[in-house]
Amino acid sequence: MSFNSIRIQTHDFDLAQEYQQLRELSSTVGAVVTFTGLVRDFQFDSSIDSLSLQHYPGMTETLLQEIVDQANQRWQLIGGTVIHRVGELLPRDQIVFVGVASQHRADAFEAAQFLMDYLKTKATFWKQVSQDGQQHWVESKDSDTDAASRWNSKND
Amino acid sequence: MPPQRVMSLINLLFFGRLGDFAKDVPATIDAATPAEIRQLLAADYPALVKELSEPQVLVSVNQMIVGWDQHLADGSEVAFLPPVTGG
Repeated sequence: MSFNSIRIQTHDFDLAQEYQQLRELSSTVGAVVTFTGLVRDFQFDSSIDSLSLQHYPGMTETLLQEIVDQANQRWQLIGGTVIHRVGELLPRDQIVFVGVASQHRADAFEAAQFLMDYLKTKATFWKQVSQDGQQHWVESKDSDTDAASRWNSKND
Repeated sequence: MPPQRVMSLINLLFFGRLGDFAKDVPATIDAATPAEIRQLLAADYPALVKELSEPQVLVSVNQMIVGWDQHLADGSEVAFLPPVTGG
């Protein structure tokens, strides 16, 4: 059973601290891959004022745990961390973190990508953009669905 | 006498853009399946029900994704989920 930490929070996170935690899990850790997603100052060719993140408390945590469990089944992982922020965010804010520790780099690289692909298409988060004084919900992207579906045919 | 139908009071949740269409929807409803909830709301909330009929909208009961014909027990929490956009 490998270490995992799943957090949904309004406050920011510290990349160095998260990396350090994964690095120190075990002396067998030979690779740590981290991904940080930021709020882009850009939507439909104009800049945004802010981003609001809604989620389904309880269900989101359950779904993220399922995604992490799947990653653990597919790859040899020593530990993983998933952080997603909710509430009001501004352009350039950190919004999501995925970090994976493993013995060898291939497991960490692939698992991190898998976690992000699945998080984007399965976890119950919804983004609302404020732009020129108006709010609108962000539409889901086919490219994200395609990115997630490529894992279906692998290792099954 | 026909068997009396047991009242099932269901708690409703609408996420993402569905929430914009559901501002005046009561918090609870008496229904036997998610599909029936959709039917019951059709008269008073046609715009919402049009959104709920999109094939990408998922429904959960007590935080588990289920089919629209899932039987609902009294006190169940039913949530309507548009495509997710996190990350």
